[in-house]
Amino acid sequence: MNAPRHLLRIQCIGYVARFLGKPVQRVILPAGAHLQTPGSQHNYGQLLRPFHCSAVCSTSRPSQTQLEKTVEDETLNKDKSLVTHDDLFERAARDSKTKADFNRVVDVFSKKDIRRRGHVEFIYAALKKMPEFGVERDITVYNKLLDVFPKEVLVPRNFIQRMFNHYPRQQECGVQLLEQMEIYGLMPNVETKVLLAQIFGEKSHPMRKYQRIMYWFPKFKHANPFPVPHVLPSDPVELARFSLTRIADDLDAKISIYQYPSTDITEPGEEVMRPHIVGIQSPDQRSLLAKHNSCRPVFVEGPFPLWLRKTCVHYYLLRADPIPPEEKVEEEFDLEMIGPEQSLFYPQRVELDLERDMGDDFSFSVDDVEEGPVYAMCMAGQGDQATLSQWISGLQETCPILGQIPTVFRLDSGPRELQTSSGAQQTPEQEVETEQIIEEEPLLSQRVKL
Amino acid sequence: MNLNKLIVLSRSVKLGRNVFAARGACLHHFQSRRFIRSSARSLAYAKDLFLGKVNKAEVFPYPEISHEELEEINQLVQPVEKFFNEDVDSMKIDHEAVIPPETLNGLKELGLFGIQIPEEYGGLGLSNTMYARLGEITSLDGAIAVTLAAHQAIGLKGILIAGNDDQKAKYLPKLATGEHIAAFCLTEPGSGSDAASIQTRATLTEDAKHFLLNGTKFWISNGGWADIMTVFARTEVVDKDGQRKDKITAFIVERAFGGVTSGKPEDKLGIRGSNTCEITFEDTKVPIENVIGEVGGGFKVAMNILNNGRFSMGSAGAGLIKRLIELTSEYACTRKQFSRSLSEFGMIQDKFATMTLNVFVMESMAYLTAGMMDRPGVPDCSLEAAMVKVFSSEGSWICVSEALQVLGGLGFTKNYPYERYLRDCRILQIFEGTNEILRMYIALTGMQYAGKILTGKIKEMKKGNVGVVFEILGKKLKDSVVRTVDFGLTGKDGVVHPSLTESARMFEQNAAHFGSTVESLLYRYGKTIVEEQLVLKKVADVLINLYAMTAVLSRTSRSISIGLRNHDHEVLLTNTFCKDAHFKNNFLLTQLQKNSPENNDANIKKIAQEVLAKRAYVCSHPLDRTF
Repeated sequence: MNAPRHLLRIQCIGYVARFLGKPVQRVILPAGAHLQTPGSQHNYGQLLRPFHCSAVCSTSRPSQTQLEKTVEDETLNKDKSLVTHDDLFERAARDSKTKADFNRVVDVFSKKDIRRRGHVEFIYAALKKMPEFGVERDITVYNKLLDVFPKEVLVPRNFIQRMFNHYPRQQECGVQLLEQMEIYGLMPNVETKVLLAQIFGEKSHPMRKYQRIMYWFPKFKHANPFPVPHVLPSDPVELARFSLTRIADDLDAKISIYQYPSTDITEPGEEVMRPHIVGIQSPDQRSLLAKHNSCRPVFVEGPFPLWLRKTCVHYYLLRADPIPPEEKVEEEFDLEMIGPEQSLFYPQRVELDLERDMGDDFSFSVDDVEEGPVYAMCMAGQGDQATLSQWISGLQETCPILGQIPTVFRLDSGPRELQTSSGAQQTPEQEVETEQIIEEEPLLSQRVKL
Repeated sequence: MNLNKLIVLSRSVKLGRNVFAARGACLHHFQSRRFIRSSARSLAYAKDLFLGKVNKAEVFPYPEISHEELEEINQLVQPVEKFFNEDVDSMKIDHEAVIPPETLNGLKELGLFGIQIPEEYGGLGLSNTMYARLGEITSLDGAIAVTLAAHQAIGLKGILIAGNDDQKAKYLPKLATGEHIAAFCLTEPGSGSDAASIQTRATLTEDAKHFLLNGTKFWISNGGWADIMTVFARTEVVDKDGQRKDKITAFIVERAFGGVTSGKPEDKLGIRGSNTCEITFEDTKVPIENVIGEVGGGFKVAMNILNNGRFSMGSAGAGLIKRLIELTSEYACTRKQFSRSLSEFGMIQDKFATMTLNVFVMESMAYLTAGMMDRPGVPDCSLEAAMVKVFSSEGSWICVSEALQVLGGLGFTKNYPYERYLRDCRILQIFEGTNEILRMYIALTGMQYAGKILTGKIKEMKKGNVGVVFEILGKKLKDSVVRTVDFGLTGKDGVVHPSLTESARMFEQNAAHFGSTVESLLYRYGKTIVEEQLVLKKVADVLINLYAMTAVLSRTSRSISIGLRNHDHEVLLTNTFCKDAHFKNNFLLTQLQKNSPENNDANIKKIAQEVLAKRAYVCSHPLDRTF
C-alpha cells in the first residue's frame, strides 16, 4: 500500500541528495520519518526500512534468544571457522520448519549486524532452503529476503558506475532471487519493485529482470486452459473426482462414487480397508455400451498414470476392441423423411451429384486410426481385480447389458512406485495414498537468467 | 478454377471492352439461353428464382376474386368484426387462460369452425383467399386465432385434403359446426421439430380390423378439448422388396375410442387462452377405416397439411398490425411532449412508417400466395407459404414492439393491450415450423431444384471444358458490359406499371444476381450445402426479399391500373420497400461471395463454438487483473 509512495519519495530524495551532496541525507531522513503522519508501528517500521543508516538502526537487543547467540558466535568466529549459512537455517529449525521459523532466521540475520556482512551468501543459502520451509511460493518471504540487501549503497551514482556492472555479485544475487520466483511461478508485487529500486536503482539488472517478468508473466498466466491447482484436494475421493473430470472433458459426464473409503474391523480383529471407487461415464458412453455386441468381451485395463503437477494418480479404463468392419451396421435412413422431397421440416440431404469444391474444402486429410470405444473410467484405492469388479458391478446398474458381456481384466502389476528422494516432503494426507501418489523433487534450474 | 475466379477474370477483362463490344451480337445468345431452359409446366415461382428466372406469368397480374366472392366475404366479415369488437374480452381470456364457452359458441354460430369445409358438409366452403381475409379479424385475439387454426388449418385439414368420402361425411359436418373440435398430433417429446423420430406406434390387431395406438404427443393445441385428432404414428409396412419397414401413417382418432388422456394445460407466455397440452394414447383402438390416405403414407399427408396452413399467418399479422396502427396513431397524435405532439417527431414517424410498410408487404405476400393456391390444379406453393410465414412472423414481432415503444412506459403496463399482443406474437416465430427450420427448408428446396438443372453444366465447368468456361466467361462479360438485366417486367410488354419502373429494375437486378450466386454456391459446396446453415440463411433471406418485392410490385401495378383508392400511397410504399430490400439483398449477396470481407460467418461460428464448448460466457470480467 505504501510502496508507491516510497517509490516516489526515494526518487525525490535521490534528487535532493544529488543536489545537496551526500551529508544531507542523514539529516533529511529522520525528518522524513517525522513528517509521516502518526501511523501505526508497522508503518513506522516500513518507513525506516529503506534508509539504513547507523543513526536509525537500533542496537538494542531486548531478548537475546538462543538463535541470535548462535548467529553472533558465528559472525564472531567467522574468520576462524567455516560455518555456512545453511547450518544457520538447519540449526534454527531443528524441530519445525515453518514460515515463522524462516522469518525468524532472516530477522536475526538482519538485526545482528548493521553492515549486513555476508548478506549475499545468506540470501543464496536462504533461497536454497526455501522449499524445505515450504515458503517457496510466498511473495512476502521473497520481499523479506530482498530487504536483507542494504539500501542505497548499491545504487550507481555516476555514469561510469552505471555503465559498468556495479556490484556484480549483489546484482547477480538479486537476479537469482527473482529467477527463483519465476521458477515457482510467483508474480512479484509492487513492494518488490520498490525494494529493487531502493537497493539496485532504476536501471539495474535485477530491475530489468523484474520488468521482464512483469511483461511476460501476465501474458502466460492463463496460457493453460486446463489449470491444475497448486494445492490438490487431500480427500482421495475428491482428488479422483477432479482427475476424472479432467480426463473426460465432457460436460455431460457424470461422476458416480461406487464406494467410499472406509475401514472395517472383522471378527478376528483384522482391519479390512475398503478402498474408494470413483467412476465417470458420459451419456454417450452409456449408449455406446448399450449397443455393444455381447459376444465380444470388454476389457478393464490399467493402471494408467495421470500427472497433476508433482502428483501422479492412476486410472482404469473399461474399453473394447474396435468394431470389425463387417459387423458395423450402417444406420438406415428413410429417404422419404430426410431426403430432398420432404417439406414437413427441411431436407437433411439434397440429392446432387456435386461434391464440395476443392477451394472450399478446408478439411485436412488425416489418417484416422480407428480405436476401440472407451465405455467408462474409474479411479480406485486399490488396483486389484476384486476392487475393479465392484466398479463393473456398479456400472451394471445403469447398463444391465454389462452383465452378459464377458469382462476381461488386463491389469498391470499395480502402480509402480517411484522411490521418492525426499520422503520428508510428503504430507500426512499424501502418505495415505502412497500407492497412487508419487512425489518428485521439483526440478529447480540453477541457471541465472538476466 | 471456380466461378469466382471467373468473375474476377471477367472484371479484369473489362478493359478490353471495346474489343469485345464488336462481338456483342454473338454473345447475346448466352443471355437468351437462360429463357430457353424451363420446365414444361411452370407453377413454381420461387423455385425458378433460384435459376435466375422470373416466371412472371405466375405472379402478374395480382390475383383477384370475383364480385360474388367479394360480396360474400364482405357480408361475412362484418358480423365477425362486430363480434370480435364487442363480445370478445381478450384481456379476460389472457388473464384466466381460458376462452369462455359463450365466446366459443359465438364463434361456432358465425361458422368460424368450418371456414374451408365445403358447404355440402355444413361449412362455409371458402377459398384460401377468403380464409386469409377472415384470418385478419380472428387474429385480433391470439388465443382464438390459434384455437381456430389448430382446429381447421391443421386439425381437420387431413380429412379435408386426403380423407375419403366416408370419412368426410362422418366427421366433417360435426367439425364444421364446432360440435367437435379437432387437433393435430405430430410433435413428440423426443422429436421437437424432427418428425423423423416419431415413436408413437400403431400395431395392427390380429383380426386386422383395428390399430392399437400407443405413445405420447406433446404441445398439442386444443389437446385438452379436442374430440377428433389427426394422429401420426409409426406402422410396420411391407415394402416392394418384401422387407418390413417403419412408415408413418395418419389416423383419425376419436377421443371416444378410449385410452386417450390429456395432461394439464401448459402455462404459456402468450396465447394463454388457447389450450396446449400433452396427449397420451394407451392401446387406443382405431378402426382401419380411420387411416387417412393409405397406410404408410402419413408423411405426405402431414407435409401437405403443414405446407398449406402457413400462408394465413401473413394476413393474420397484417390484421393485427393494422389494428395497432389505429390504436397507436391516436395516442401519438394526442399526446403532447415538449409542447409538440408525438406525431411530429421523426423517430415516432419512423415507427409508423415501419409498421405501415410491414403491413403492406405482409398483406401483399399473403394474398398473392393465397391466390396462387386457389388456382385450379395442385400448385406447389409450399415455398411461398413458408416465406410468408417467416416474413410475417418476424415483421409482426418488430411492429408490435415498435407500437409498444410509441406508448413508452404505458405500453409496458397491463392497462394497455400491447404487452399482450407482444406476448401472443412471439409464438408466431416458433410454431408451424420454427423460422430457422423454414429458412433451411426454403433455401434447400430451391437449391435442390436448381441443382438438378445445373449439375450437368457445373460438372462440365469443373472438368475444365473450354467451351462451357468461355460461355460463362462471355455471360459474365456481357453482364458487366451491358449492366442492365431485363426480364421483361417493364418496357413495352411490361407487366409492371411504369411508375414502378425503378423498383422493378432493382428487383430484376437482384433476381439475376441471385441466380448467379446460387450457381456459384452450388459450384462451391455441392451437396454439402446442407451443412452450410449460415449460407442457407442468407439465401433464404434474399429469396424472401425477392418474393416480397414481387408481391408489392404486382399488387401496386394492379392498384394503379384499376385505380384503387389511395394507390399513390401504395406506389410510395412499394418504392420505399423495394429500395430498402434492394440494398439488403445487395449486402446479403455480397456476403455470399467467396472471400467477401463482409462475411463474418467463420467468426460467428467460432464464437459460438468457443462459448458452447464451455457452456458459458468465456471472457474474463473487465475488472479482473493478472497482477
